[in-house]
Amino acid sequence: MKKLICFLVVAVLLVVLALYSIATGSIKVGFGELVSGLLFGGNDNVEVIRDMRLPRIIVAMLSGAALAVSGVLLQAVMRNPLADAGVIGISAGAGFVSVFVATVWPVLIFWMPLFSVLGGLFACFLVYAFTWKQGLRPLHLILVGVAINAMFSGLNQLFNYRGSYAVTQVNQAVSSIFTMKTWNDVDIMMTYGLIGLVAALFLGTWCNLLALQDRTAGNLGLNVLRARLVISFVAVLLASVATAIGGLIAFVGLLVPHIARQLVGTNHWLLIPFSALLGSLLILLADTVGRTIIAPIEIPASVIMMIIGGPFLIFMLLRGERLYAN
Amino acid sequence: MQIKELSFQYKNSPPIIKGMSTQFAEGKITTIIGPNGSGKSTLLGLMARNFAPNSGQILIDGRELQTIKTKELARLLAVVHQQNEAPYDLTVERLVSYGRLPYRHMFSQERDEDREAIEWALACTKLVEYRDRRLNELSGGQKQRAWIAMALAQKTTVLFLDEPTTFLDIYYQIELLDLVKELNEQHGLTIVMVLHDVNQAVRYSDELKVVKDGQIIAEGAPETVMTSELMKTVYDVQAVIRKDEQAGMYIVPIATNA
Repeated sequence: MKKLICFLVVAVLLVVLALYSIATGSIKVGFGELVSGLLFGGNDNVEVIRDMRLPRIIVAMLSGAALAVSGVLLQAVMRNPLADAGVIGISAGAGFVSVFVATVWPVLIFWMPLFSVLGGLFACFLVYAFTWKQGLRPLHLILVGVAINAMFSGLNQLFNYRGSYAVTQVNQAVSSIFTMKTWNDVDIMMTYGLIGLVAALFLGTWCNLLALQDRTAGNLGLNVLRARLVISFVAVLLASVATAIGGLIAFVGLLVPHIARQLVGTNHWLLIPFSALLGSLLILLADTVGRTIIAPIEIPASVIMMIIGGPFLIFMLLRGERLYAN
Repeated sequence: MQIKELSFQYKNSPPIIKGMSTQFAEGKITTIIGPNGSGKSTLLGLMARNFAPNSGQILIDGRELQTIKTKELARLLAVVHQQNEAPYDLTVERLVSYGRLPYRHMFSQERDEDREAIEWALACTKLVEYRDRRLNELSGGQKQRAWIAMALAQKTTVLFLDEPTTFLDIYYQIELLDLVKELNEQHGLTIVMVLHDVNQAVRYSDELKVVKDGQIIAEGAPETVMTSELMKTVYDVQAVIRKDEQAGMYIVPIATNA
C-alpha cells in the first residue's frame, strides 16, 4: 500500500513538474494556450517551445530514468550499493570514446551514441577484468572503478583542452547541459533509451536472484554468468546513451536507487520502474531549477547534481549502508 | 548419485579432491565428515555443481552432471548452504517462492502447483505463521529453516546441506536435524549433508563418508565405520566409543594424539 502511494505520488509530481517546466522559461505561456498550441498549432510561442524546450524536457526525463535504472542494475550485478555508471567510469568511458571519435573522425558524429556505448562497454569490461578474480569484492571494485573513472575523465579533459572544432560540437557531451536538444536527440534517446528501459523492466527476477549468493542463484537454476552479462549490457547501454545525449551527470545512479530502496524495498520488479520515475523527476527538477533560478544564465543539471550528490555520498559512506543481511 | 575418479583443485593450489569414487544411496541420509580442509565441503560443492571438476565424473540418475542444464538441475537437486545472504527486506514467503523459479519462465504466472509447493515447504519447516516476516527478524534457527523451505519448494528428490548447524546453538541444531530426518522418512528425500560434529553424524545418518586429504577413507553404516582407530587416523585424536540405551553409539574424544 505504502509502495503504491509512493508510485502515485512520484508519477503525479513528474507530470506536474513536466507541465510546469514546459510552460516556464524565457517564453511563458498559459496552460490552455500550450495545449491548444501543441494540438492545433498556430501559436508562435508554442512553436518555439515545441522546437526548443520540449525536446530538452524529454531528453532530461529519459536521461534521468536511464541513469537511475542503470545504477540499480549495476548495483544488482556487482552486489554493491556504491556501483554507479558515474562512479566506476562507465559514463566517463562513454564520454571519452564519443569525444575521441568525434575529434578524430568528425564524419562519424552521427554514430556517436554507438561509440558511446562501445566506450561504456570498454570501461565496464576493464572494471570486471580487474575485479573478477577477487570475486568482485565491494571495496576493491569501487577503488578500481574510481581509478578507471579518473583515467577516462583525464583523457576527456585532454581532448577538451585541444580546443578544436570538434570540441565545440561535442562539448555538451562532457559538460552536460540540456540546452540545444533537438527532436533528433529525442529520437535517439527514445530508441535506445526506451529499449534499455523496457529490457530492464524484465530483468527483475535475475536481479533479485543475484542479491543472493552466486552459488545459491545457480542452485535455483539461474545461469549466473549469462545473467550478469545481460544485465551489465543493459546497464551500460542506458548509461552510455544518457551520456551521449544528456552528458555526464554523476550521482543520479547512486542517489535515486538508494532513495527508491528506502521507499519501495529491494524487490527489483518494483525498484526498477520506481527508480525510472524518480530519476526522471530528479533530473527534470535539476534542469528546470537550473534554467529558471537565475535566468537567463543556466546552471547545468550535472552541476546541481554534483552539489547534491557529493554530500549525499559522504552521508551514505558514514552510515555504512548495508544492502545485504545474512 | 555416483562419482567416478573425481579430482579437483582450485587454480594454483594443491589438489583438494584426489581421484574419488563412491556412490550415494537413494532415499537415505548420507553424511560426509572429516577434518577441516579435508575437502568435504568441496566435495558437496562439486556435487551441487557450484564448481566444475578437473577430471572424473559425477552422475545423477545415470546422467553426467555437467551436461544437465542449470534449470533442469535445479529441479533434480536443491542445496542449502552454510551461510546465506539476502536483501534485508526479503520476506520468508518471497524467499520460498524463489524455489519455484526452476519451474517458471520469465513471463509465466504462479500456478496452482507452485502455490501448493510453497505452502507445503512452509508447513514442513513450521514457518507458516512467519511467512510475512523479514528474514532479518528471524532467529538463526528459523532463518536456516527458511532457506531449507526454499530448497524444498524446488520439489527435488535430492537435498544437499552444507554444515547446516554450524552457526546454531544446540536447541536449533537438534531441531534442524530432526527436520532433516523427518524430510527423509516422511517424504523420501535423499539427503547428503556435511556435518562437523561426529556424534550428530552418527546419530542422524544411515551412512557415513569419511573424507581425509581428498579421499574417502571409510564409508558405510555409522556403527561399522566409527571406531577409535578411525578417529585416530582421521582426526588425530584418541577417542573412546561408547554405547548408551538412549543415545545409541557416541564418541568421546579423550586427548589429541600428540
